[in-house]
Amino acid sequence: MSAREPAWRVLAHEFAASSEEIRARGEKEASYLISPLGARMNRVIVAGSIEPAESIGRDPSATFYRAKLSDPTGAMALTAGSYQPRAAAQLSAITERSLAIVIGKAHLYRGRDGSAVASIRAEAVQPVGEHSYQLQLLDAVEQTVTRIELSERLRAPDPPTDERLSSEGVPELWRRGVRVAREMYPSVDPAAFRPGLLTVLDVVEGVRPVPDETPSSKVAVRRDAPKAPPPPPVREDRVAEAALLELIDELSDGSMDGYADLKEAVGRAREQGLSSERTEELIDRLEASGVLEEPIVGKLRRA
Amino acid sequence: MAVLPVPTTPEAEVPLRSLSASVSPVSIIARVVRAELREVTRRSDGGRRPVLTGLLSDGSATVRFTWWDPPKAGVDVGMVLRASPAEVREFRGRVELNFSFRTRVEEASEVELPKLRPEEIPLTRLDALTDGSEGLWVEARVAATGSKSVTVGSERRVVFEGRLADSSGSVGFTAWVDFGLKAGEAIRVTGGYVRSFRGRPQLTLDERSSIERIDGVGLPSAESVREPTRRTVSDLELASGADHTRVEGTVVGLLPPSGLVERCPNCRRTLTGGSCRLHGHVPPVADLRARMVLDDGTGALTVNCGRADTERLWGVSLSTCLERASDRSYAPELEEELARAILGRRLRVDGRAVKDDFGVTVFPDSITTVSPDIRSSAAGLRRRVRRGAA
Repeated sequence: MSAREPAWRVLAHEFAASSEEIRARGEKEASYLISPLGARMNRVIVAGSIEPAESIGRDPSATFYRAKLSDPTGAMALTAGSYQPRAAAQLSAITERSLAIVIGKAHLYRGRDGSAVASIRAEAVQPVGEHSYQLQLLDAVEQTVTRIELSERLRAPDPPTDERLSSEGVPELWRRGVRVAREMYPSVDPAAFRPGLLTVLDVVEGVRPVPDETPSSKVAVRRDAPKAPPPPPVREDRVAEAALLELIDELSDGSMDGYADLKEAVGRAREQGLSSERTEELIDRLEASGVLEEPIVGKLRRA
Repeated sequence: MAVLPVPTTPEAEVPLRSLSASVSPVSIIARVVRAELREVTRRSDGGRRPVLTGLLSDGSATVRFTWWDPPKAGVDVGMVLRASPAEVREFRGRVELNFSFRTRVEEASEVELPKLRPEEIPLTRLDALTDGSEGLWVEARVAATGSKSVTVGSERRVVFEGRLADSSGSVGFTAWVDFGLKAGEAIRVTGGYVRSFRGRPQLTLDERSSIERIDGVGLPSAESVREPTRRTVSDLELASGADHTRVEGTVVGLLPPSGLVERCPNCRRTLTGGSCRLHGHVPPVADLRARMVLDDGTGALTVNCGRADTERLWGVSLSTCLERASDRSYAPELEEELARAILGRRLRVDGRAVKDDFGVTVFPDSITTVSPDIRSSAAGLRRRVRRGAA
């Protein structure tokens, strides 16, 4: 089946709480970011106010843009690079805070400490008026509350069968998403996302103004505690660190944007006999001691 | 001592629907639907042997047949034949008939064709009709009727057409005879066959189909079948498309070729590099189109928007585009501008949905901008969000 992935209507509080994914195994498979409510997101459509984008990277021919999109429940990170020329052009054209609808691919970066950051790789950024913004928010509230209701039913002691849900007209993709989320986020309470939806409705009904500042209806989703700080370096660490730094310098000098790609660095280090765990551990330490920084997920440079 | 049955010519004709390789040989009576006379060259001595192949139908089913050494004049399409004993074979899962030198084939009369009795045929729901279904029994509400004049060969004929609906869906029909159908009537159809027309099954009612008026209990009402049925994208994917359907969603993309395009003057296909896939290099005819990706959160489909709808949604006319696009290189900019004009728009599309390898495509009858009342939708949603929280 080659049906196009649907664009999931999602709000910032659900998106930001998404920390699990299903990775593509084959070339033709898609990756999915799974939300606690069962949005099984490859593509998303979101609405919010966007701040002027920040351009990252030294090479003007391969500019990479990053922007923040806020809705009444929180904020989401947007990115667009040379592979999304239309979105990059649209993002860079935004010179003041404005309302927009964004269609893009959900992306998850998992840090070495186990933390997960979801972002949207924009495919299209469409500036809109207030009416379209409100309509899009309503659409997101409707589909989010549908996911909440479905999650609550499936997490209840006597959950409905798949046939039952199918006969009620619940689309197959939605049923699958909620089931996967129940496995991946066993301890989440779907009702925790309801207050955020009321905030959105307040904004839509004009009870609350369209927010200037990023508010927060942040829903805490329990994750593993970060690991203990690394132990102080010993001599052999110093040698390995020096080799790694040299490698990173080499990679960033040769790259278009002036950054060393993390994956590439790990790969090259492996050729030199450093295991990927060992490389990650060294990078952690170098970052902690302020030698390296990672301003974009997966991109390293000297601090 | 047991007496072994001697293979003899069976007396009664077998309906084509009941043929199987295990009951061979058989007697059949059926109408020639298609026939082609060829010659096969024998490899051993280069001798040539005539063979006639084609399709036979008796209203219960259509099967391929092969007739070795047929009459020199061949047979006419429409002729009714009785053949006995005919051999039944199975080829690639389909039943075929074979007439050999032992088979007596003679012309028979139309009245000898088996009468289709409804009780022998299962009732078929409209959404289960597929290309090739025949000898049918369907019960449906007439949703729309019309007629048009077409040229068949050298004569003008009137074709009666329309749409039938039941609770499972709806299907277009054409009839070569006037059954006097009126919109709103409930009917029982026996006979008929289904052919695929522009990617959707279409029911053809021939002379041998019979129509009976019924009370229509259990069928959707006359009012409800006039309106298109609202479906989600996911429903349309599952049902492999639908006739007379309605879908609502947000425009999330624009697929090429969209915007200002050049078409072939003969077949209206979009030209690539100034040439038509079928007719080669042709003088281009300018047109506007938009292949919009419409998404409702359950899936995404393509809406194939013609010139009038594109102009209306975009607010830019073909002539304006042509004034601005003095050369072809300007087309991408126009496409970009069209994308900006329609992305994020909330649309309601009525039309015919067809599914192929690339997903579902809708050929719209009408496209309208949806503008729900924000206050009342928000209030309704607020109740729903609160209900669970209580």
